[in-house]
Amino acid sequence: MPFHQARWEEPLLWEIRTPIESKVDPIPGIPEPLLRKTPFRWPEPTELELARHFTRLSQMNFSIETGIYPLGSCTMKYNPRVGEVLARDLSMTAAHPAQPVSTVQGTLEMLYRLEEALGKITGLPNVSLQPAAGAHGEFTGLLVARAYFHKKGDPRTEVILPETAHGTNPASSSMAGFAPREIPSKDGCVDLRALSDAISHRTAVFMLTNPNTAGLFEEEVLEIADRVHAQRALLYYDGANMNAILGKTNPGKMGFDIAHLNLHKTFSTPHGGGGPGAAALCVTDALSGFLPVPRLVKEGRKFRWSYDHPDSIGKVRSFYGNVGMDLRAFAFIMAHGEDGLRRVSERSVLNSNYLAHRLGKLLPRPFKPLVKHEFLLSGLPLRERGLRTLDLAKRLLDEGVHAPTVYFPSLVEESLMVEPPETESKYSLDAYYSAMERSIKDTDENIHAAPRRLAVGRVDEVAAAKNLRLSWRDLRRTP
Amino acid sequence: MVNWVPPEWEDREMLAELGIGSVEDLFRDIPKKARMGRIGLKPSMEEPALVDLVRGILSKNKPVSGFDSFLGGGVYTRYTPAVVDGLLQRSEYYTSYTPYQPEASQGTLQAMFEFQSLWVELSNLEVANASLYDGATALAEGVLMALRLHPGKRVLVPGSLNWERRSVIENYSHGAGVELVDIPWDPTTGLLDIDFIAREARKDVAAVVVEIPDSFGLLDVRLPSLKSTLGEVPLVVYADPLSLSLLEPPGSWGADIVAGEGQGFGLPLSYGGPHLGLLAARLSAVRQLPGRLVGVTQDANGRRAFTLTLGTREQHIRRSRATSNVCTNHSLMALAFLAYATAMGPRGLRRLAEAQHAAVGSLVTALQGTRHLQVPRFKTPYLFDVAIGVEGATVDQFLSAMLERKIFAGVPLDDPRPVASHPRPNAFLATAGPEIDAKAIARYASAARAFGGA
Repeated sequence: MPFHQARWEEPLLWEIRTPIESKVDPIPGIPEPLLRKTPFRWPEPTELELARHFTRLSQMNFSIETGIYPLGSCTMKYNPRVGEVLARDLSMTAAHPAQPVSTVQGTLEMLYRLEEALGKITGLPNVSLQPAAGAHGEFTGLLVARAYFHKKGDPRTEVILPETAHGTNPASSSMAGFAPREIPSKDGCVDLRALSDAISHRTAVFMLTNPNTAGLFEEEVLEIADRVHAQRALLYYDGANMNAILGKTNPGKMGFDIAHLNLHKTFSTPHGGGGPGAAALCVTDALSGFLPVPRLVKEGRKFRWSYDHPDSIGKVRSFYGNVGMDLRAFAFIMAHGEDGLRRVSERSVLNSNYLAHRLGKLLPRPFKPLVKHEFLLSGLPLRERGLRTLDLAKRLLDEGVHAPTVYFPSLVEESLMVEPPETESKYSLDAYYSAMERSIKDTDENIHAAPRRLAVGRVDEVAAAKNLRLSWRDLRRTP
Repeated sequence: MVNWVPPEWEDREMLAELGIGSVEDLFRDIPKKARMGRIGLKPSMEEPALVDLVRGILSKNKPVSGFDSFLGGGVYTRYTPAVVDGLLQRSEYYTSYTPYQPEASQGTLQAMFEFQSLWVELSNLEVANASLYDGATALAEGVLMALRLHPGKRVLVPGSLNWERRSVIENYSHGAGVELVDIPWDPTTGLLDIDFIAREARKDVAAVVVEIPDSFGLLDVRLPSLKSTLGEVPLVVYADPLSLSLLEPPGSWGADIVAGEGQGFGLPLSYGGPHLGLLAARLSAVRQLPGRLVGVTQDANGRRAFTLTLGTREQHIRRSRATSNVCTNHSLMALAFLAYATAMGPRGLRRLAEAQHAAVGSLVTALQGTRHLQVPRFKTPYLFDVAIGVEGATVDQFLSAMLERKIFAGVPLDDPRPVASHPRPNAFLATAGPEIDAKAIARYASAARAFGGA
């Protein structure tokens, strides 16, 4: 029986129940002119209608627990259920962020031990858990760099990054007030000559992902670090691809000064349909004083928050971090322990090389064969059939598997970026190979018509942008 | 050891296929000088031991049930209907990611479309994104958005603004090279100097930020006419979502951008995160909006479908010229917000808001005439939180004395990193949620009366 996703044609909430218009009567203590006169219209379905609506929607949602989800750069690994149980502990969920520290010593100890573990994992012992996501961690790290150069009386204006960098890198650089400058790659890796040409006394930071977005380990990383440091610039580690190197090497060993980790990638906190994530920012001792406040400190056996860091950049969000996600990451690290974490990277890199080797028989692979936790394929050969990588991705969905990341990085034409994390079995990888094989060997007509087994057929994304309807209000205007 | 990674015997079959002797060979591209020894972590654990370990650590927290909590300040203890967490625990939602392939992810997409619609209805603006990290980052992104809509090198922010939100805005607007100007507040009423805003708004100002209720918990009856004094300068409003079930929405009185914190709608306190950033704006400004956006379209068969849209605003396409660096957002929290608001309904939300307002009023009444306390600190209407002044002692001394009587009496209005232009009152915020009954209020009043000062 082939895969079929549920197809409910589920109405919108306000199509299930006619919305109520809430009226506001005078309320003592609230000035009458401020009371709501514009009706607030929203449906009030029965609880069953509500549960059925969101259950049906969930059945039209592909997820890790539905099938393999090998989105490159996203590390869609299994999210252990025990994390959900632990994070719902009442002493976690019911703790108010303004509660006195004497009443949340357990939570603080957990956060402190997580910081310690992440310091060891990265080799950069000064850790802030404040950033809410990877991009937020990048932004925070760049603010730290900015404050560092400002304090030195050596203000710098540029951030250099490879053209293969995640889009968040240049975007974070701009937000932090730097001019981002992208340099070309050579054979999928940093071109040392291009780096040397670009780097100068204006350079604050060189941002690098290692392994990079082509899944390749930057073998010249130590030389890169030397050249960056020779200009007294800082080397930034984008930790999106940390899943490849746990216990093998770390940003500190490679010569990085700043690193962010995406706890929702490497440390398995669930991606939540787009978020929440959680990030850690890890830095050298020289940069420690610039990290966001508050910092968690241990005095004897007690923990408390410290604001006494005059060089600190301040805050990048309210409170202390996505603590609920931090707990899941802590549980993941403790469960795996020393050998388990090393095994995570070994198996993810093995999965990736194995699947790359097999899929390489179906589609060309750019660059050297040895990859880390993810790899690139090119859908270019499909072109002569009038097909694109996007068509292949849609056809793959019909197999009950998720498509890889497509069209990133852009240095490979028609690219597919595949990341099969350590939690996928050989059986699952072989099934993915078969799914890809059936998809490629299907008729052009069928591939163009895909997907046909999902809740909806091929979605017209161009029409969505042309005729913008972004809310119920827009639908009322033009249904 | 937990069973989260497939067994090693599979490795051997895969290595054989690769023609490689050991997994270690796959790491030969890492230079020797960069290789590390032990990480320095403890050995792996079985799941029962893990649960014992984590619960053992967490048991060092004092159970909140042993305390009366009057803590609010924008983050509230509220009952969430059980159906909400039941839906959140469906792994189809929580183990999926950003819906890059819309055909496979209609569930998340339709829910986000409904969420966007809900924040549009509450704020009465025209377009909302599919969430940001929290209220502070949403407000800061709102300010950055305003900077793209209007020229100017200064942003007017309330002098009463919570110090964390102020710091976040400051950090976010570094790149744009703008200066924050603190709008002075009146020591008696706590309200902003409206004349100052009208005067300064003409001098190279790119945006004006106000809050309702503000960081002192206050309602300013003059806000609805503020926009008329600003001309073209964008008005950015930070609003509590529950308050909008009672109050005229900022979109009805000229706000160009409305940001908010969504925690109070179905999200646990979780010691400060993950919470939810809300952001809405005018449709004419949609191309300057940060974050994911879901739109309606149709599929190849002409049936209604949902998809991410206007990706050209975002970092994965526009890179350094994107409206924001945001990628991962707080989608699951947005789902909780949507399910909670729908489970409560407009009438349920309004009743909840009225009950909380009334309970805070009861607290104020019960505390009348208490030595060392000025209740309320400001002679101005308040909503959800009341500012209480402390006389003849520090706020910390009062709160510590209350803690000894098992009462979390309030959230201090201090600033751990004082800024001269941003003075703080010697006061704290107290709220009274649905779990606070008359007895708890009486306990608060009795403990407060027993406070002997410094």
